[in-house]
Amino acid sequence: MPQIQPLGVISINVWSALISLANLVLLYFLLKRFLFKPVHKVLEARQAHVDSVYAEAEEARAEAEGDRTAWEEKMQGVRAEAEGIVNRANERARLNSDAMLDEAKRRAAGIVQQALEEAQLTRKQAEASMRREMADVSTELAGKLLGREINENDHRQFIDSFIEELGETR
Amino acid sequence: MTETEIPEKQEKRSLRFRVVDILLILMMVLPLVTAVALRVLLTPPEEGVAIHGAWVYWCANPDADLSQVISTDFMITEAQVNSWLVMISITGLALFLTHGLRERATTVRQHVAEWVVEKVEGLVTSSMGAFHVRPFAPFVCAIIALSVFSSLMSLLGVFTPTSDMSVVSGWAILVFLVITAYKACCGPRLYVKTFTSDGPVVAVLNVIGEVATPVSMAFRHYGNVMSGAVIGVLVTTFLTWLSSLLLGWLPGVLGEIPLLRVGLPAVLSVYFDLFSGALQAYIFAMLTMIYVGGGFPLEEYVKRHSGRKARQGETARAA
Repeated sequence: MPQIQPLGVISINVWSALISLANLVLLYFLLKRFLFKPVHKVLEARQAHVDSVYAEAEEARAEAEGDRTAWEEKMQGVRAEAEGIVNRANERARLNSDAMLDEAKRRAAGIVQQALEEAQLTRKQAEASMRREMADVSTELAGKLLGREINENDHRQFIDSFIEELGETR
Repeated sequence: MTETEIPEKQEKRSLRFRVVDILLILMMVLPLVTAVALRVLLTPPEEGVAIHGAWVYWCANPDADLSQVISTDFMITEAQVNSWLVMISITGLALFLTHGLRERATTVRQHVAEWVVEKVEGLVTSSMGAFHVRPFAPFVCAIIALSVFSSLMSLLGVFTPTSDMSVVSGWAILVFLVITAYKACCGPRLYVKTFTSDGPVVAVLNVIGEVATPVSMAFRHYGNVMSGAVIGVLVTTFLTWLSSLLLGWLPGVLGEIPLLRVGLPAVLSVYFDLFSGALQAYIFAMLTMIYVGGGFPLEEYVKRHSGRKARQGETARAA
């Protein structure tokens, strides 16, 4: 094996230059394939992920907004319904109380009427019984006074007419 | 308690994942070790100040004169081999960074991978416009990565591919081809017009300037890195000489230790190996973007493209 020798300081070898050119081209493809491509792939995947997360968040926000409006609408409806229920209940209560008052008044009037009628009946009975007793007493008294037996029937008629008169004058 | 433990268990890497990780780390480290081993095993030990180009590991023509400036013999040089090794390392790094990417970034390496991609795309967007990001970001990333890691190989004591003119010339030729392709994307007539629009005298200057672009790019990159290495060698040699001159009277081994070499070469190395390497990579990439972005007739292209699209739409509707 011959002793290897160095080149001159300033020297160009055509083949070396071409090989060096090819080296740079080769390294370009190597770096493109093994550094830039995988890194870009990861960066794009990350970008896609971030985009999807943002889209999801936006979607969730829109959904929540929709829920909120729907809920508010529902609340409004519920409030109106509750108001209606209360109003109806109030109305019904008012009607009920009116009816109950009427009923009570009616019944009170009936009771008073009945009491009046009863009182009148009692008075009539009392009058009748008094008249009878007075007739009896006056008959007896008159009999005693006259000392004689008067015709009871005549007498009764007389007394009755008297009492009639008495009642009319009174 | 078990519910909280489940995700932790999922977070744990599987054995397979770790094995792949180790293989990828080996893919990153082994080429660099190989570069050093090749250097140590194949090249003879150097004596004194030696400033030369890349070692030729194999040449198709054994009788070739290696000292000529332009050679056409097929040969495998240290620069090329190191270039390939660095490419393997870069690919390993890319694979390692993108290994186990997840939608939810939890690992440092994923953050680094995303940071790199986003930084490069931001750079391309700011200097070329958003139109070119997709095709150009990997290209710019390849230029920067290859250039930076090649320049950083000087830290291992091996030959840096970027200080070999053939290597950077290849890159510059590729950039020139890309520039031309982008300039000529709207037909040869428009391409010629970009040179001749200001008269015949300016046209000649334009053509010279166009050809000068790759040459200047190659020379700039190569010259900066190479000069850094040359200055490093010169300074180190000078300091060794100064040390033996000033401290040679010390008895025994003490006099043979080049004490003055401590310090300054390290500082210079930080500048020439780290800073200059990164800077030249950045400049090369920026120039590429500026030339391509500036040469690309975006308005004309969009006009034609949209016109063609509209025509296609019309024919589709007619059919």
